[in-house]
Amino acid sequence: MVEPADRPLVEIDQLHKTFQVGSDGWFGNRPRLVRAINGVSITILKGESFCLVGESGCGKSTLARTVMGLEKPSSGAVCYDGTRIDDLADSRRLPFRRKMQMIFQNPYASLNPRMTVRQILEEPLRFHRPELGAAERYDKVVAVMTSVGNNPDWGARFPHEFSGGQRQRISIARALMVDPEFVVADEPISALDVSIQAQVLNVMMDARERHDLTYLFITHDLSVVEHFGTRVGVMYLGTLCELADTRTLFASPRHPYTQGLLAAIPRMDGSQLSHVKMTGEVPTAMDLPSGCVFHGRCPLARERCQREIPELREVAGRQIACHYAEETA
Amino acid sequence: MALLEVRDLDVIFPLGRKTLQALHGVSFDLDKGERLGIVGESGAGKSVAAFSILNLIAKPGRISAGRVVFDGDDLAKITDAEMQHIRGNRISMIFQDPMMTLNPVLTIGTQMVECLKAHRTISDADARRIAIDKLEEVKIPSAAARFANYPHQLSGGMRQRVVIAIALLTDPAIIIADEPTTALDVTIQAEILALMLDLCRDHGVALMLITHDLAVVSQVTQRIVVMYAGRVVEQGPTPAIIADARHPYTRGLIRALPQQNRPGVRLHQIRGTMPTLEEIPVGCTFHPRCDFADATCRQREPDLRVIDAGKVACHHAEHIIGKLRAGGTDG
Repeated sequence: MVEPADRPLVEIDQLHKTFQVGSDGWFGNRPRLVRAINGVSITILKGESFCLVGESGCGKSTLARTVMGLEKPSSGAVCYDGTRIDDLADSRRLPFRRKMQMIFQNPYASLNPRMTVRQILEEPLRFHRPELGAAERYDKVVAVMTSVGNNPDWGARFPHEFSGGQRQRISIARALMVDPEFVVADEPISALDVSIQAQVLNVMMDARERHDLTYLFITHDLSVVEHFGTRVGVMYLGTLCELADTRTLFASPRHPYTQGLLAAIPRMDGSQLSHVKMTGEVPTAMDLPSGCVFHGRCPLARERCQREIPELREVAGRQIACHYAEETA
Repeated sequence: MALLEVRDLDVIFPLGRKTLQALHGVSFDLDKGERLGIVGESGAGKSVAAFSILNLIAKPGRISAGRVVFDGDDLAKITDAEMQHIRGNRISMIFQDPMMTLNPVLTIGTQMVECLKAHRTISDADARRIAIDKLEEVKIPSAAARFANYPHQLSGGMRQRVVIAIALLTDPAIIIADEPTTALDVTIQAEILALMLDLCRDHGVALMLITHDLAVVSQVTQRIVVMYAGRVVEQGPTPAIIADARHPYTRGLIRALPQQNRPGVRLHQIRGTMPTLEEIPVGCTFHPRCDFADATCRQREPDLRVIDAGKVACHHAEHIIGKLRAGGTDG
């Protein structure tokens, strides 16, 4: 496994992202807002596989899209290798787009059904490396298809001719075509069958070694995180509640939300269903609770939690946003 | 005799000149109050098996051989009216997506009363009382107020609770749940599974849980049926299957899960994909993906035979298991 060098590759600083979804008030002058991300700061080191976990609606995909420049942040900054990229003009941003690639959840939706596999794979090359000739492009297609475990002779076929696992390998291949350094994978195996999940995860781990990749891996599946990630950030309602290296987090989760999340993973160790630690459901990001966003579901919540937003701070070898983090061990 | 007996079930879908066989000699039993898991990947035939029990297979699909016996009645021989009495009444069903199951333009109360009145002669007031009781049983807070809500006013987890409440309305003998928690978040999934487990125990309802998630079946069920390419390849008590499966496919599936592997190393994987119904291989359907396949496997399809506490459809089950236990090099 590639040991992370301590050089930051992607720095996310106090990121906020708000979407306007309508307006209220007599004159429609009061915007109705969804606060998708509220002041998240994460530093991803070179060579890391940073995992971001959380339930649906916690803002993990919005964060990924904002890092990739598919959304503009409302405030805060995203830096890549020391350069601030979130406010760059499109033309100045172009070189970064080559270095940063993305893999999406649904390989049925993310591959153009009217393009052959070869066209799909050559498109990013034509765009980012126009200097390459047809023969060089084709060589690259063959090399990358082989490296993800697909038959390179399949280039003339269309996406519908492939199974879900093969399609997801094609979208991984597409991301690898332009030799990226940083790959954002948003739930890349959630739509796949169990035996195929393992295949695709293996392809991603092989690619990490072969191409020296840094990953930002977005998922709701904690058992995958435990296996794949070097560090984990746990998100809840647009806020980062705990950030630690994988082993620390799984061995001793300290945030009450992380604890509830880990207890909810169905285990195969012969145990019956473990006691449910957390009740209730995630509030919507349109109507954020005051104070700590988790207080409504937290078994430890006290008066202070309703009033005061906890800062992310260093406790027991991890960063944690909880007023009572010292008591949760 | 078991409450539900499925015997040598074949289901075919005639499509133009071709005929696809979705189920091939599927047999299993479900006892009164038992919790059974039907496990398999997409296309393995687990949903078709469930639908065929209730005679819900979409046309032109049909049961071409075998029988389903519920409480002594052969369901293939009964009239439509008798089937109506069983479906949704003695045997209820829960589906994956609660938003698709519930009618968006009717309140959940209307839908619950409608369901009760379809199966019983009952006054509106009594139906309402039973419905609210069931909503309380699935732990929906302020059930009487929720009775008047529309599905969109509830969260995903609450909607699935309503669907479970509807399934319980008629005090069924069997609940068939097809991927009931797949669309839910992991914390909500844990709550719903715990609820279903409690309800089945308290009411003595038999549960047939259809899922692709081995961890979920391991925590909820007592027995597992593993399906592959329209066939049952292994069945047995849940702890035995999880700890020591005999079929190379089951074993491979369990070993492929991240929680069964050391963090950071390559996962055990089964090569290839499950065949589609159009290209079912000759011999053992799993042989192209199996590391132990030999000439026998390529020619002759294995029968499901009794080994220890379970049944396995593999020519070399005894031989392979010895090797796997010794070497630990699962397919």
